[in-house]
Amino acid sequence: MQFIANGFIYRKSNSIIHKLDPRVKLLISIQLFTLALLVSDLYNLLIIFVAISIFSLLAKITQRLLRTMIFAAGFSMLILIINYFAGYSLIYSVQIALRFISIVCSTSLFFLVTSPDELEYVLRWFRLPRDLVFAFVTSVRFVPVILMDTLQIMDAQKSRGLELEKGNPIKRIKKFVPILVPLIINEVIRSGELAEAMESRGYGISKKPTSLYSLKLANYDMIVIVITIISFSSIILLGY
Amino acid sequence: MIKFENVNYNHPDGTNALNDINLEIPENSITAIVGNNGAGKTTLVKHINGLLKPTTGTVRIKNEDTRKSSVAELSRNVGMVFQNANHQLFADTVKNEILFGLNNFRFNEEFIKERYDFVIELFKLKKYESISPLKLSGGEKKRVCLASVLAWNPEILILDEPTVGQDELQKTVLLEFINQLHINKKTVIVISHDIEFLWRLQPNIVTMSGGNIVEIGNSEKIFRNEELMNKVGIIPPQIIKIFEGIGIKDEMPLSLEDSCTVIKNLRNS
Repeated sequence: MQFIANGFIYRKSNSIIHKLDPRVKLLISIQLFTLALLVSDLYNLLIIFVAISIFSLLAKITQRLLRTMIFAAGFSMLILIINYFAGYSLIYSVQIALRFISIVCSTSLFFLVTSPDELEYVLRWFRLPRDLVFAFVTSVRFVPVILMDTLQIMDAQKSRGLELEKGNPIKRIKKFVPILVPLIINEVIRSGELAEAMESRGYGISKKPTSLYSLKLANYDMIVIVITIISFSSIILLGY
Repeated sequence: MIKFENVNYNHPDGTNALNDINLEIPENSITAIVGNNGAGKTTLVKHINGLLKPTTGTVRIKNEDTRKSSVAELSRNVGMVFQNANHQLFADTVKNEILFGLNNFRFNEEFIKERYDFVIELFKLKKYESISPLKLSGGEKKRVCLASVLAWNPEILILDEPTVGQDELQKTVLLEFINQLHINKKTVIVISHDIEFLWRLQPNIVTMSGGNIVEIGNSEKIFRNEELMNKVGIIPPQIIKIFEGIGIKDEMPLSLEDSCTVIKNLRNS
């Protein structure tokens, strides 16, 4: 589980992609996502994969992105099988499966190179309601914490003889009750404590609180924006 | 006997957590593992019940390699009580929480009933048996966790930070309880930052830092070694600091009561 989760969690790095303005990272991710939705043949999907690979190489996250791919591959296999047995051709089924992987990877790319703080700045820049931004960013920020909690709960229950790997599928699902109950209760308690801690530090007093940081596009960001917009527009105009 | 032979452990992300560990923990002993945060204490004990398997080297319990057994098989003999009680409790009643392990290990009804009655009395939980463990206080939750592990009578008991959230009275109960386990031929391993508690317990001490074992010895030898204490980031027990501070170095009392007796005797002489 940790192996897969690491494919979605941000880690600090000094790569040129990490240094980009978060709005630029979002733009690249949205462009790749849109292209993955629009293109319809294997050749073009392959181009998107190449673009994602170049991006991940520059960001030095190839290994972690591979984990995302492995995660997505499981679901895409299911998509492929369902499509094939629903009467679609094998080529078409493969295309749909690959499209799914591209969509997941382009989304994952953004979260792998964008810190929760940067994510918060971007969402605020879009002038989304502060409470909504806070709730969303906190949930992203707490993913590694919840993952750690899950692993510790699993360890605690395994130490009391719980064998998650044994039994038929229904029995296995039932065995997750001792994992899920403490996990949900812990997170409910934690969210209550967090709310109290936030309120006691003045959260909600001002509708427009000040911020020490603000987003500023550097020349380097502008160059990347121009390159990506030209590439994206060219693909669209050339009829992909 | 628990035996670590040249054990190295790397986390899945590649970071080294244990570095060439060689350690023997004899049967029927009380051992404490101490060290600063991130020293590798919990990682070390997770190898004993098979939650973690060494990257290289071998961990043996009674000469059996832990790699050859599942966590459930090892847990039959190695009970582990985790630091955070909330990570363990899930059942609708205290009774069902305690029965969870006993049912998983498929003991017969007679044994289950006998052990349940024993631990519920031992930890004074009778009045809570039909209420949710989640409604209990921190100290009570910890007692439920201890009871739920001791219920199946494991030969080795690992306690990860057992004194966290416990008041002094509960700590004394825990101390007596660990000593009782020792009398009953159990092997007890305690991870703790509570040096005052460990001084009263007087276990064998394993000091760790940065994934390495720094020193092993009895409590007096370890806690009176100022250089070692600084190295592993531990402050020695207050009794040692006071007695050494006033120049008494031979007779080191274990408790405040003993300290009073020693000081009274000194005054009288």
